[in-house]
Amino acid sequence: MNFREKTAWLNAIAPLAAYTLYFGLILAGHPAGREVFPMLWLFGSIAIAHAITAMIGTAILWARAPKSERARADERDRAIHRRGATIAYYVLLVGTTIVAVYMPFVTSGVPLANAGLFAIVASGLVNSVVVLMSYRRGWHG
Amino acid sequence: MASLPFTNDIRTLRFLAGEMTQGELGDRVGVTRQTIAAIEQGKYSPSLEVAFRIARTFDKPLEAVFQWTDGMS
Repeated sequence: MNFREKTAWLNAIAPLAAYTLYFGLILAGHPAGREVFPMLWLFGSIAIAHAITAMIGTAILWARAPKSERARADERDRAIHRRGATIAYYVLLVGTTIVAVYMPFVTSGVPLANAGLFAIVASGLVNSVVVLMSYRRGWHG
Repeated sequence: MASLPFTNDIRTLRFLAGEMTQGELGDRVGVTRQTIAAIEQGKYSPSLEVAFRIARTFDKPLEAVFQWTDGMS
């Protein structure tokens, strides 16, 4: 498994773990599901932890990769990432549309914000999974 | 995963070019070793530019490197 594929795994697993924790706590009744400041604290903490994990993980993978694998992304890498971004865009589009339809039925902004965050996180995960599958199974772009 | 409608002889041409490695070919063409491996395995369809660069590296015409598979549209 090369550097880019390992990075794709990291970009799939790190947000999955971080936001499973976030949305799991909300479903379990954490105040972040109802109140603004607990939500900001919880989401902020988890987002920062996720960002730091991703940065440190990428740095470790980069440092351990052979020099040949650290080369700039080529046309195949770019095509794979375009494919992931394109499919993720449609997930985000559907997610934000659902949030917009949901909007008139709620009075508090917190559930809306969480629904919007879920759409963003879901599209990011779809992006990572598509990239990973394209590296693993081949890409005929 | 659908298979590509063409095959290639890059592995053979690398062998005939003095066991040129995938990494060496990738450096000459401007892509990574992994991309050359994916092209050889039929997992990636290269751009026309990369296809021509590969053919020029071996000093061969394009159709000596990539062959359309009969019976596929």
